[in-house]
Amino acid sequence: MNRLLSSLRDGKGFDIVLVTVPLLFLIALSGLPLIYNVVMSFQEVDMFSLGTFARPWVGFKNYIAVFSAPETWPIMRNTAVFVVCSIAGQFLLGFGLALFFTQKFPGASYIRGLFLASWVMPGLVVGAIWNWILAGDFGVLNYVLKSIGIISENIFWRSDTNWSLWAVIIANIWLGTAFNMILLAVGLAGIPRDLYEAAELDGANGWQRFWTITLPMMRATIGAVISLGLIFTLQQFDLFAAITSGGPANSSNVAQYWAWEQSFRQYDFAKGSTISVVMIAVVMIASVIYVRSTRHEVRG
Amino acid sequence: MSAQPQIELVDIDKHYGSFHALKNINLSIPKGQFVALVGPSGCGKSTLLRSLAGLESITGGTMKIAGEVMNGVPPRKRDVAMVFQSYALYPHMTVEQNLTYSLRLKRVPKAEAKKAADEVAKTIGLQQLMHRYPRELSGGQRQRVAMGRAIIRHPKAFLFDEPLSNLDAALRVHMRKEIRALHDRLGATSVYVTHDQIEAMTMADHVVVMRDGVIEQQGSPLELYDRPATRFVGGFIGSPAMNFISGTVAADGQSIALELDGSGALPIGRGLEPGRKVTVGLRPEHVEVGPAAAAQITLPVAVVESTGSLTYLTTGGDPELTVVITGRSDIRAGQTVGLSIAPGRVHIFDPETDRAL
Repeated sequence: MNRLLSSLRDGKGFDIVLVTVPLLFLIALSGLPLIYNVVMSFQEVDMFSLGTFARPWVGFKNYIAVFSAPETWPIMRNTAVFVVCSIAGQFLLGFGLALFFTQKFPGASYIRGLFLASWVMPGLVVGAIWNWILAGDFGVLNYVLKSIGIISENIFWRSDTNWSLWAVIIANIWLGTAFNMILLAVGLAGIPRDLYEAAELDGANGWQRFWTITLPMMRATIGAVISLGLIFTLQQFDLFAAITSGGPANSSNVAQYWAWEQSFRQYDFAKGSTISVVMIAVVMIASVIYVRSTRHEVRG
Repeated sequence: MSAQPQIELVDIDKHYGSFHALKNINLSIPKGQFVALVGPSGCGKSTLLRSLAGLESITGGTMKIAGEVMNGVPPRKRDVAMVFQSYALYPHMTVEQNLTYSLRLKRVPKAEAKKAADEVAKTIGLQQLMHRYPRELSGGQRQRVAMGRAIIRHPKAFLFDEPLSNLDAALRVHMRKEIRALHDRLGATSVYVTHDQIEAMTMADHVVVMRDGVIEQQGSPLELYDRPATRFVGGFIGSPAMNFISGTVAADGQSIALELDGSGALPIGRGLEPGRKVTVGLRPEHVEVGPAAAAQITLPVAVVESTGSLTYLTTGGDPELTVVITGRSDIRAGQTVGLSIAPGRVHIFDPETDRAL
């Protein structure tokens, strides 16, 4: 006991304790459920076999069932549209705002802080706010679009199959822009000022400085922001639950919401976990890209 | 040398809010001259250089480069090149891309840009490094790339902002000569900011000493050394620094009674108003050490330091004086020595205004 205490005191072994605690935490709460989920996707699971781990092994039957279901490809397409459009919207708006706030003007940092309000809000609250904004008959968005003459008829964002996915995308862009802005602003702040001065003396105008200095210097940050965006967007669940519930007729359903629906609404746990495993594969690829892009930091 | 100066500054003023950074700066630089701006930190030398580059705006006065008024002209249209203290190399570009950046912006054909880069690389010895990234270079190599990036543009003027301060002492001495040689070879007009008076003295044709936003004195290096206009310039130029001693002009007007323990009268070889309070400046290398009997000043020696080629004596008492003797000396600490100085080498300043008399 004494030896243990003294080894803690002089630092030897303390580093191992520091690593062990989060490692155990990760294994218990992330690693094991992940493995359990993967195993489940190769088993036959029903309400009666839920309590046991020794279930009939069915090989790739669940995967075949998922990929032959008629709703699979529309939902995968929705997922792709949701991810690409959300990330594009969040990134472009976030980068624009980040560049805007690098300009020195009174209150710049204060106003930038206000933008974070959207990010700290729970997804369900954001969903509720956007439900009002997007409401077909009394929503503000319809009122604005009609007032400036872009639409002539009310759009029923949440119940029109042509628009339901876009209703969630718009809300998700609003939710994620601030996070993109902050990360990109940090990246911008890390570019040495004298590089811009040297480029200016070398004859570069503002546009050229952006393309030849800012963008290449931001490569690592942009890679990280987009990979994180991919991960967060694939995790986005609350907004679907709050705004469209994946409907109508699966028109706004995406893989992550579908997996939950299968497991906890249809109680088809095998199918739900199979969809999750497919998503794990996609997120893993994104994570690898993220880790690699942060490793290749280019700094003088 | 053409009649029209390459760089002409008339009554330049610069305020940062209530802080007056540059006060009434007048400076004219002929084509081909190497000018050093020197002074302690915060004296405004870097601000002046950055104003020349257009990176800072000036509040008043006229700034001309090659005869054109540059007030308000953005840096990219001034056709001046700057070498930064941090080098400011583009980290995501190879050496070759760093060199050709300005040419690529001007849409110079690729082959032509490459040829120019090769030529510059040959001038400054970078041929082997063209495909390296800045992070793979040593400090001295980065310094060369920064210079190459300036040279390739054939600018109207080169601006150097303490370019050697990140190098070690040996390399600094070497690069000093190299920069000066390059300047001569290119026939360039250069403005060089440094806080190191040795750099300024050894490199420049014309030295501008600044303090608190004002030009204290400008002239050739030896002019500044021989005839400092103020006590500040006297103390700043020359190493080790000039000794300053308070004194009073004696009744005959031809010598000064120094406020120094064990001192005699110091002949000055010219007439000053008797009884006037003055500050006397003596360069350590101008003081001669001899037997106490025949000397003008007799003082005990407190410290003897020898570097082999030079011996430094520091005297006891207040104020302490530094004396430099060429070669070696058998003087020991505690010994009393006699010091004398040629009347023509005595600098006399007004204690009120600090200006030379």
